[in-house]
Amino acid sequence: MSRPGGTAPTAHAWGDLADDARACGLLDEALAATEARGVTFADARLVEAEELRLYTSRAGGLDERREHTAGIGVRVLVDGAWGFAAVALAGPGSSDRAPREAAEQAVRSALAGAGLARTELPARESSSGRWEVPVEVDPFAVPDEERHALLQEVVRAASAPQAVRAVTAGLNAKRQHRHYADSEGSRQHQHLVESGAVLQAVAADESGVQRRSYPNSFHGNTAAGGWEYVLGLSLPTEAARVGEEATRLLTAPQAPSGTADLVIGPAQMALQIHESVGHAIELDRILGDETNFAGASWVQPSDVGSLRYGSPAVTIVSDPTAPGTRGTFAWDDEGTPAVRRTLIEEGVLREALSSRESAARAARTTSGAARSDGWAYLPVPFATNVYLEPGRGSLPELLERMGDGYYVDDNSSWSIDDRRMAFQFGTEVAWEVRGGRRGRLLRGFSYGGTTPQFWGSVEAVAGPEEFRAFGMPCGKGEPKQWGFLGHGSSPTLVRGVRIGVMG
Amino acid sequence: MSTVDRIAPGQPLEVAVGRDRALEACHAAVAAALAAGADRASAFLTGRRSGYTRFAVDRVHQPQDIREWTLMVRAESDGRASRVATTDLTAAAAVGGRAADRARALAAAFGSLPVGPAAPAVAGDDADASLWVDESAHWDTAARTAAARRTMDAAVRAGGAAYGMVHHAATELAVVTGEGVERYARATEAHGSLTVKVADGTSHWTDVDRSLAVLDLEAATARTVREADAAKGRIDLPDGTYDVVLGPLATGGLLERIAAFGFTGEAVADGVGAVARRRGQQVVVPEVDVADDPTARRGLPFPFDLEGTASVRVPLLDRGRVAGAVTDLASAARSGLPPTGHAHIAREETPHAVPASITMAAGSDEDLVAGVERGLYVQRLWYLNVIDPETTTLTGGSRDACFLVEDGRLTQPVSPARFSESVFGALGRVDGIGPDVLAQPLMNVWNGCVSAPAVRVRGFRFGGAR
Repeated sequence: MSRPGGTAPTAHAWGDLADDARACGLLDEALAATEARGVTFADARLVEAEELRLYTSRAGGLDERREHTAGIGVRVLVDGAWGFAAVALAGPGSSDRAPREAAEQAVRSALAGAGLARTELPARESSSGRWEVPVEVDPFAVPDEERHALLQEVVRAASAPQAVRAVTAGLNAKRQHRHYADSEGSRQHQHLVESGAVLQAVAADESGVQRRSYPNSFHGNTAAGGWEYVLGLSLPTEAARVGEEATRLLTAPQAPSGTADLVIGPAQMALQIHESVGHAIELDRILGDETNFAGASWVQPSDVGSLRYGSPAVTIVSDPTAPGTRGTFAWDDEGTPAVRRTLIEEGVLREALSSRESAARAARTTSGAARSDGWAYLPVPFATNVYLEPGRGSLPELLERMGDGYYVDDNSSWSIDDRRMAFQFGTEVAWEVRGGRRGRLLRGFSYGGTTPQFWGSVEAVAGPEEFRAFGMPCGKGEPKQWGFLGHGSSPTLVRGVRIGVMG
Repeated sequence: MSTVDRIAPGQPLEVAVGRDRALEACHAAVAAALAAGADRASAFLTGRRSGYTRFAVDRVHQPQDIREWTLMVRAESDGRASRVATTDLTAAAAVGGRAADRARALAAAFGSLPVGPAAPAVAGDDADASLWVDESAHWDTAARTAAARRTMDAAVRAGGAAYGMVHHAATELAVVTGEGVERYARATEAHGSLTVKVADGTSHWTDVDRSLAVLDLEAATARTVREADAAKGRIDLPDGTYDVVLGPLATGGLLERIAAFGFTGEAVADGVGAVARRRGQQVVVPEVDVADDPTARRGLPFPFDLEGTASVRVPLLDRGRVAGAVTDLASAARSGLPPTGHAHIAREETPHAVPASITMAAGSDEDLVAGVERGLYVQRLWYLNVIDPETTTLTGGSRDACFLVEDGRLTQPVSPARFSESVFGALGRVDGIGPDVLAQPLMNVWNGCVSAPAVRVRGFRFGGAR
């Protein structure tokens, strides 16, 4: 399996683990060290990652950070009990004991858990190959001057209005070599590159403080791709708008309370999907594994396949094969090949986000959503690239269909209960809509509801030309790990939503 | 002989890197940065070796043993700084040189900036014996799994199920600077977290400390099972304003986002938030004392920060008045406040100062519920997020064992409910503080912890719409 093409020559040719053969040697060493009585399955993941982050602010400082990590995580099943251990690599110049150390500790850990309930993994055919994220311009090869000039221009543009008190702008890039091997014969090599940007402007006066963000309030946005993604964001133009909107919000009327129809923009819908669909249909949560920490789900195991989750306008898919997001990959972190799956089909829950183990426990096949935060953590079900399928028409057409209501976008506060049922979101911006036309800007907008009621009230989704995808981190597991995933939608019309819940 | 036969039984926890190797890597990085032309250089190494046993119902589903470390170098040239981090300790000198090169490139591209402050020189180990507790180090995988089995069995005997995690860890930090700072400290950590579910009733407990003995798992398990059983048959909570008793975990939850209300040097420098605008004002009742206390007896005390600055106690709400702000070197310089040793570098965030040892002082009111005629007991808060930092308003929900209170007694269990409340507003209506403290980790904060007692609040509104 290979998907080369269009890749800048330098993008994947960095680091010690760019060499698949060398990585295979370390993985084989780890797997060999797990060979023992009672070990029925073993896999090993070797990840080398480098991250570049630059932030600047209106105050003029510049923070640049480059972080490089490399390590190996080994997972085993011994007599039906899991063991997992991870160790940072000591470095290419030293005699590295990490593969053996991780393997031996994983077996030791599994032995301690033997005698409790057994885990059985169904048989699986091996899958091997190499996959690279296509990159036009290597973000790590961009000259300093270009990067920094862009940041300065962005800060200048956002700072233009007098009321803007603080601006933070940032650029980031990450590259990874992710190698996987298991005792079933799979050998997989994935070489990833991500690029992104973030901007926030804060305006303040006697009346209060208001914030606007771009491309998204939650850590900006990053995509699987190169510097070309950042250039496509039109940052200076958007920065000027963001600064002006933050200032206009200071004098904008307070958004009302009551019940109203909404068109929700893609940046807010990404979080709505994440919180009330993505997490709610993680199969390990449904089975109770997260009960102590991240919570359970209002969905029961027997619901998968038939539960009415939303209106017929709601079709939500998991598609790690769709290019360009942080939920894009060729194999998940336990080696399952990426496949597009329909999770919710015209409002009916058809499938959950699952790992091999959770799927087996629920007598299903895995949807290939076992993902981990680098080498140090055990894979658990996280969203992949999970998005609401577009419908038809433009945003103006959707507003016209709504008639009177509000167009809202980009999150400012969020919370949902531990069953992923009752939620409350605040948005950075809201516009009054009268007769299908956008009118006044409002501040302090919020809405709330329950998951099935909200999704059941979706009347229409705008067309593919309005679709936007967002990459975002999220937390799960104990120890907590960050999962990096993608969500997207077109603007969505929802009828009869409770608004003004923040008081 | 198989691998299993060759594997030694569990060993006491050791640090991930060790004092000598950690300091050696930091020194190599700093020396190389200075040799490469940096005006100033510093380095820190964080190491962590941890073992987690996560269980649910009848199985350990996430056993994890992690040995990790990061060396981060900061080099400065003409006031422009660059940080480079690696897990490859054999590359310490190369990384130092690279940081210096990056800083020089930044200075060449953008010109010089005023030189920031440095931590005052201090050398030697921070060998506080209370930070390293052998019992915590010996809490190996087998012992933790046995504890998990006992907990799961206890829940089954009550007709329910247990979900939780027990873990131990060894944390270490080494810091070296070109100005003469050389510090190293290590610390153990023991943490238990448990939810028991009996029918629709749930109860939760968590506690974290340097010492395993503080956790008292057996008592915690028995209490949590008992509370879950009592919490069966929940009804929905009618929207309304209640006199509430917040359990220690709920109080801690209310305080976990206190940094966002302006208790940092950055906020003071920007002129926003409580310390900048309301310093000295009585914002909550005088009985409420909240500090960031890296020397606290409970929780996860640690003697210095990532910049090598001694971490000192900073009063945040001093007998109810807005008091100080935590700082790192940069925000101290910007705000004119003293350095307090609270430097923090989190993923996907700019480096900034953060309260990492939030501590609310305990009181002496043994039975807070007895003082409520009609109200509510709330065990735990969940998914808190700031709505408005100026008014200190949070939104979130209650979770697990919550009960109506009638005539000073817990009566009907109630389901989770949503609230949006001002933290200062709620703490301004406190009229009772309990004697017992629980500590819980602060997510996304290195070595972060919040410790708090139960409080009684007169008038706390639950419900979404007003």
